[in-house]
Amino acid sequence: MALAQRTGRSRHRLVLLALTAITLLTVDLNGFGPIESAQRVVRDVLHPVTSLAATVFSPVGDAWNSVFNYGDLEAENDALRAELEAMQGAIIRGEADTETLRRLLAATELPYVDDVERVAANVVRGSVGNFDDHVITIDRGSREGVAEGMAVVTGAGMVGRVERVDNATATVQLISDAALFIGARLVATDDVGLGHALPGESGVFVIDRGLDYPDTDDPALLPEIGTAVVTAGVSSYPADIPIGTVRAVERSSDEASMRVEVELSTDVDDLHFVSVLLVDPPEEFQLDPVVPATDAGLGVDPDLLEPEGETEGGDE
Amino acid sequence: MTFLKIGAVLLVSIVVQLTVFVDVRVADVAPELLALVAVLAGFLAGPERGSTIAFGAGLLWDIWLPTPLGLAAMAFATVAFAIGSIEAGLFNDTRGQVSALAFLGTFASVLGYALLGEVVGQRGLVDIELLRVALIAGLLNAAIAPVMVRPMRWALRGPMTFGRPAPTRA
Repeated sequence: MALAQRTGRSRHRLVLLALTAITLLTVDLNGFGPIESAQRVVRDVLHPVTSLAATVFSPVGDAWNSVFNYGDLEAENDALRAELEAMQGAIIRGEADTETLRRLLAATELPYVDDVERVAANVVRGSVGNFDDHVITIDRGSREGVAEGMAVVTGAGMVGRVERVDNATATVQLISDAALFIGARLVATDDVGLGHALPGESGVFVIDRGLDYPDTDDPALLPEIGTAVVTAGVSSYPADIPIGTVRAVERSSDEASMRVEVELSTDVDDLHFVSVLLVDPPEEFQLDPVVPATDAGLGVDPDLLEPEGETEGGDE
Repeated sequence: MTFLKIGAVLLVSIVVQLTVFVDVRVADVAPELLALVAVLAGFLAGPERGSTIAFGAGLLWDIWLPTPLGLAAMAFATVAFAIGSIEAGLFNDTRGQVSALAFLGTFASVLGYALLGEVVGQRGLVDIELLRVALIAGLLNAAIAPVMVRPMRWALRGPMTFGRPAPTRA
């Protein structure tokens, strides 16, 4: 009898906890402000403790990495990699068609990326759990002007976007996350499309929306392998941030659109320093008429078609 | 007092998870320390109090995870309840059995977290990597469990300041 009562009480407790969890899930998924604020307060309060602990425990991590990750070569590799990435970024930026870029920027009223105010940040940690591989935490937050949606870059190019901001830290969603969509421009052809990382293939970004395959098989109309890809002026981020270089161009399965694979210019697996571009993303972003090529009959220029309703997707 | 001690264990666990286990990983998988706290709470404190402590551990972990608040809390509480509901006579508090429970509980917690996440629309949690992650995290927690069981037993000992006294196992 007593056992049955205890079991019943335990079940009631579990039901109560489950209902609480469902309520929290529902309100959090709907972006309920007070819940987000409460989480931010907890993270901010514990930030000094975790910072101190990170300093205290850093020898443990270093020792582990030195044994299992050949850490004694890490510092040298990092320095060389940073130098190489900076050079690659400079080359890609140099390839950008300045006039076209200025025209795009004028249309979108976004400042040129070199003029953008930015704040440098240290990467304080990578993923904390086992299901957030494409996330880093940086030591700059709202008190330095960092806000959600801002672009994060290195000298080599695009790193990701600010996902969550606390007072002293911010979480960055890396460009290697297939869920992060970015408006991209092929410098060689000036075509603009929407791309994302290729799941399961490190360092590869694919533009698979918004690019029409040329009606003729003239290779001159296709972007050359190795040419630059940068952020588009119509994206949520400042224009002309290097994304990478064209690795492969192919016709999509629908036969009418183009699929471009891009080799990312930044190695996001091993970041130590980044910069946040202090440009607020637009409130509502719409990719300039991306009419699915499949909607157009053969021989019909999709640009001549009227867009129907809102464009699906966006930069986010 | 017990409430404070449990809070201290949770605080130390989250700090260690956020600092040490960011680097210390095996095959790119980190131990799930908060899940281990939840499993041990279910084992040592029974289904009622254990599930409540596990819920708190999951909620704390949720604050740092990119998934919505309540996901880990729900998974951990359910696993702690299941472990706490196992007939007490089946298990003694031996090192081997604690490790075995830690492995099974962590494995179930990781799977439960990912499956619940998919249910609420969090894509990318259930894939071919899930079983590997759950398996390695379970093994790592099994290795840590004999160490972690001591502070958990300490935290659950003594008069309670909320609820009923915990029926800790001898």
